[in-house]
Amino acid sequence: MTTGIVYHPAFLTHEQHPLHPERRERLAYTDDQLTEEGMWEDPRILRLHPRPATREELSWVHDERYLNFLEQSSRTGGVIDLDTVIPPGLFAQVRLAAGGGLVAGESVMAGTVRNAFAMVRPPGHHAGTCSGGGFCYVNNVAILVQSLKRKGCAKILILDWDAHHGNGTQEIFYEDPDVLFTSIHQSGFYPGTGDATEIGAGEGTGYTINMPVPAGSSDEVYQYLLAEVIGPVAEEFNPDFIAVSAGLDNHFTDPLAGLALTAGGYAATMAFAVELAGRLCAGRLAAVLEGGYSVEGGLPYTTIGIIAALAGMDLSGIRDPSSYGPLFRRAFNPGALRHVQETVRLLRTVHGNIWHCLS
Amino acid sequence: MLFTGIDIGGTNTDIAIVDGDVLTRKVPNDAGLRGALDSLDIRGRLAVSTSQPLNRLIAAPPASVYAITIPGPGLPSPGSVAGMVNHRGDILEEIDPAAIRTALEEHAAEYLAICGKFSVRNPALEEQVRSIALSFYPPERIATSHGLARLDFPARRVTTEVNARVLEIVAAMVRTISGYAQDFLFFKGDGGLASAGAVLRDPSVLFNSSPAAVALGARYLTGRSDCLVVDIGGTTTDLVPLRDGAPCMQDVRIDGKNAFIRSVQAESIPFGGDSVIEAHLSPRREGNPMAFGGGRPTLTDALNRCGASIGEAARSAHLDPDRAAQAVRAYISRIAAGVRASDAKIIVGAGFLADHLIPEIGREAGVRCILPDHAACANAIGVAVSRVSLSLRVHVDTGRRRVVINGEPVHLHQEMDDDELVAWCKGEVRKRALCMGAPEEDVADVSLAYFSAYDVIRYGRKKERIADLQVAITPGITVDAK
Repeated sequence: MTTGIVYHPAFLTHEQHPLHPERRERLAYTDDQLTEEGMWEDPRILRLHPRPATREELSWVHDERYLNFLEQSSRTGGVIDLDTVIPPGLFAQVRLAAGGGLVAGESVMAGTVRNAFAMVRPPGHHAGTCSGGGFCYVNNVAILVQSLKRKGCAKILILDWDAHHGNGTQEIFYEDPDVLFTSIHQSGFYPGTGDATEIGAGEGTGYTINMPVPAGSSDEVYQYLLAEVIGPVAEEFNPDFIAVSAGLDNHFTDPLAGLALTAGGYAATMAFAVELAGRLCAGRLAAVLEGGYSVEGGLPYTTIGIIAALAGMDLSGIRDPSSYGPLFRRAFNPGALRHVQETVRLLRTVHGNIWHCLS
Repeated sequence: MLFTGIDIGGTNTDIAIVDGDVLTRKVPNDAGLRGALDSLDIRGRLAVSTSQPLNRLIAAPPASVYAITIPGPGLPSPGSVAGMVNHRGDILEEIDPAAIRTALEEHAAEYLAICGKFSVRNPALEEQVRSIALSFYPPERIATSHGLARLDFPARRVTTEVNARVLEIVAAMVRTISGYAQDFLFFKGDGGLASAGAVLRDPSVLFNSSPAAVALGARYLTGRSDCLVVDIGGTTTDLVPLRDGAPCMQDVRIDGKNAFIRSVQAESIPFGGDSVIEAHLSPRREGNPMAFGGGRPTLTDALNRCGASIGEAARSAHLDPDRAAQAVRAYISRIAAGVRASDAKIIVGAGFLADHLIPEIGREAGVRCILPDHAACANAIGVAVSRVSLSLRVHVDTGRRRVVINGEPVHLHQEMDDDELVAWCKGEVRKRALCMGAPEEDVADVSLAYFSAYDVIRYGRKKERIADLQVAITPGITVDAK
């Protein structure tokens, strides 16, 4: 079985502004790295072509008035917030990005591929039912999850490891007990949500698990949270599908965040998710690209790590260039793990009565 | 203008001299390349198609090739040593010369391939490894990968291993042929010509050039742009489609792996003039036909028994006439089936036995057939009348003030906008083709096969620009021969 990569050169064309961090250049070096690694020709990789999501598919997640606003603003240009302007032609691009996530899920469900990575732009996890923001317009991973529910997946686990909290995704599924939203993100950071005490509401109480981590958190913090929280909870939840909001901005070179994950740490994190999917849901997993702004120094290495882990390739060479040593040492916070251990104790308190494994 | 073309096939070497008139000749391969060249009074331009030795080498069991790779971070690779070039062509990790010497001492092999990730953006590390390796291998047994100019490290590695194996043979050919004609050109698998210097940088371009040669020759002799060329050789009969005046190209895989080797699409049917007749016609060659001194009857002998007069026809008398007729019928119906499957409306005959077999194949397949004069040596004619083809893959990084053309860095002297850059690259490919001896008219039309460019933004400001493009002069018939 192969790993699908949904990618299209059209994903490079979206630009709010030529100088914006979420710009065309973002995936150019990564595309070079993937090409040089022979990924597109590798028999373990199947390149999947995105289709534009339909208006109806977008409306599974978003309010009609918000979609009308996006569509109309896309004709002339518009503004959501200072970081998120609407350039002319945006609507077609967000439909293609959302469709990229849908193709990833559909291909996994159809058995065309074992798992898939939708390498789409623009990202989506800050977009809520009636709002955009943080470079996001429509919520690609939420639309994917809604399509999976319609394809018969009763329970879906979302693992969002973008450095910024996936406030849009949390909002959309906050009261939904069929979707377990888990998020590891930098605390005290944009968008300001994602406290460990935000645990869902109504029937969805307990189905939102936030794991804020301090600046400088590195590989051992992620592995700790995977082993102590995400793995056990996932087993108890027993999902039919795992959807990953794969932010690449936790890398220690990222200019818009302060975390310290390495390329090897990314590969190990994805390998954990792949192993979990293999154990719990016949390997069914789709990842959608979210943020990641270390376009030249980070993304080429972290993306290879993620894809190699998805495809079960040899991960022994996944690492950062050795010349990055000083950058890593500057970003790394040796006290982060102790801090996160405290957070997990808090999580056990707020979630212990819902999740046996945390009690 | 006078053009000489030589195509070294499996059994014979075909020679064509074209100067308005066409003169052709066949020389048996026993005499070797020198024998063929000795038989010529070379004037004008000499072009040589020599894919047979390479084809055999590539099909042979793998020779011992040691590949030193410089993979850096990412997917690991066998034979890896320290060192790293990144996607911008920056060296982020140096090689360790002592470790490379140890690796070379521990891995004795006949040939050495050196392949580093992103060497096409900066060949320095590959060159450093090569200079160390020169104490262990003769220069003509070492191939590096950067000249292949394309990203895709695994495919580059496979191609570099092929080049390591064939470089020495090609270099020896270059020395031999240069003794007869200083400025000769090689005929490549894509149907174009290239200088010896260019071929020595990537000898894999010579792979399987015969189908391209026969396609071009058939086009030259008939003026047909859309047809199926049926080339009847000694061992095989090749069906080569021509569309819009050009053969179709396909990727060649080596041991099931991707490589940067392309050749003309052809269906090779394993029957030809030398196929032996036992109870029936067999897809095997066991030496020459009896009419040419061989010991076993072949399709050629069968044609003699059906009324032809090929070679010493009397020697074919050994073959039973009924069996001969049956073998010829079997051959014709096998080839006609191939023609029918191709959907061709017109076939053009080529090869030594074309006169005797093509009309019958056309009749049975229900298609129109054309049998041009000199059909027997259409391949050598194709070689003679071909033109220089050349592709430049260019990577421009204004931040590094670097232009890399087919893996070789050049200093960027002046800033250019995108249009100026394309014009400059087109000028460069023309200049290089003219240096190989192409006439002005052949280089007038340069195509832009690929273009991609983006700005490098740092700290909210546009700092630099990166562009990748490919410009090409495509294969075809030289204007001077038209």
